[in-house]
Amino acid sequence: MTELRFYGDRPPGMGAEIVPGRLIVIEATDRAGRSTQVALLKEWLEEQGYAVLDTGLVRSDLAGPGIKRAKEGHTLDPLTLNLFYATDFWDRLERQIVPSLRAGMVVVADRYIFSLIARAALRGVSVQWMEDLYGFALVPDRVIYLDIDVEHLLPRVVGSTGFDYWESGQDFLTSGSVYDSFVEYQRLLLAEFRYLAERHQFSVVDARGSVAEVFRAVRAEVEGVIRDMGTEAGLPGPELIERGSEAPAG
Amino acid sequence: MDVNMPGRLFIVEGIDGSGKSTQLDLLSKWLMSQGYLVVFTEWNSSPIVKSTTRRGKKQRLLSPVSFSLIHAADFANRTHAQILPALKAGAIVLADRYVYTAFARDAVRGVSREWLRGVYSFAVMPTLAFYFDVPLPEAIRRISQGRMRLKYYEAGLDLGLSPDPEESFRMYQGLIKAEYDRLAEEFSLVRMDATANLIRQQHEMRELVRPHLGGVMRVDGGGVGEALRETGLIGRYLANRSPGTGLAP
Repeated sequence: MTELRFYGDRPPGMGAEIVPGRLIVIEATDRAGRSTQVALLKEWLEEQGYAVLDTGLVRSDLAGPGIKRAKEGHTLDPLTLNLFYATDFWDRLERQIVPSLRAGMVVVADRYIFSLIARAALRGVSVQWMEDLYGFALVPDRVIYLDIDVEHLLPRVVGSTGFDYWESGQDFLTSGSVYDSFVEYQRLLLAEFRYLAERHQFSVVDARGSVAEVFRAVRAEVEGVIRDMGTEAGLPGPELIERGSEAPAG
Repeated sequence: MDVNMPGRLFIVEGIDGSGKSTQLDLLSKWLMSQGYLVVFTEWNSSPIVKSTTRRGKKQRLLSPVSFSLIHAADFANRTHAQILPALKAGAIVLADRYVYTAFARDAVRGVSREWLRGVYSFAVMPTLAFYFDVPLPEAIRRISQGRMRLKYYEAGLDLGLSPDPEESFRMYQGLIKAEYDRLAEEFSLVRMDATANLIRQQHEMRELVRPHLGGVMRVDGGGVGEALRETGLIGRYLANRSPGTGLAP
């Protein structure tokens, strides 16, 4: 059981309640292997019999389409864009994440408020303002951070779809080449992530290894979070079985 | 206000039917006639945010927090694209509703007051903020004369106060008014008696605004006025693009 806890004031419509589900967040910069890990995790959890909701940024019915349109034109200033993201985030929290937690599901979030805070901070928005804004966000049961460095990131970017406009910070950096701005942007972003990792006690997983290695580490983290769910649901969990086997001896 | 900005910002607040928009319109005409560059901005009017708001309202997707965030996005966009540039350029910005509208409406919907003040901390402090104070029955009477059917959010039906739109509207406006009265204290809003004679209200408003106009840039209409006087023309086809009239409604 998990209590619904918020970073700031409890938002309207949310009671002080205990829910049977779990909220697991995977954070990382782009191309750190985040989506792959989320996909593997979802399948693995389902294999174990858990009902899973996977959710990511900019997928809400309310604000998703508006954000996509706005980004196409590169028209929004950082504050407006972040308030748009916050609208999208809240809409998903209220209408997908919390109901799923109430229903006893494992929610796997592909990025959470930390990606939004880190990216905004680089564009001159105060971290304090962002953290206050996201006071309505649920404190996750676990935040798993896939830690990587620029040196390991570069070959993955070059070897796949190339440099993305936003993920190279080209909306605000003035470096001549896209390569230079990518390197500069990612260095700044990773530094911001590490700051947040310490501040919010992320579980840091080394993402430089192979997919299998990283997934082993991710799985170990997740196992710690979901361990008691079966017991809570009235199924014989590891503890029950242990106790059962001890009983005759004692 | 930021000392580097030569412009002025005057805003009006009040419940529906308080007559604030009428008074702001009269003020804007007066300022323009004095040669000031006037920029007008209205609550919830940013084009970039509008489609999302419309979507939310139509499908009734707006819970209190999303209602609040979407209006904050609108306000941020107008601050960035309209209000700040105009103030930096030395214009007089007139705002029909400002952050206090969000503070009142969202608090009534249960959103934390402290959180709201944090979210809107980027707002420019107005030179003067007028609060048009009107007794609830009088506001209701004015509105019921002119308006068609009340809309869902406008009537506060999302609050579940009453299933009857008119009754809900009355209760909703009553709650908003109580918030406004509290805000008037907290932010020292200039309280205007909105039941007073309209001409008198306008006179009072101008007297309050006048002392703040010292040193504000005036425009002469880019010489158009002079050309008209010399030629005896009235400028019939210039009406919508006269440089002296700014972006007035």
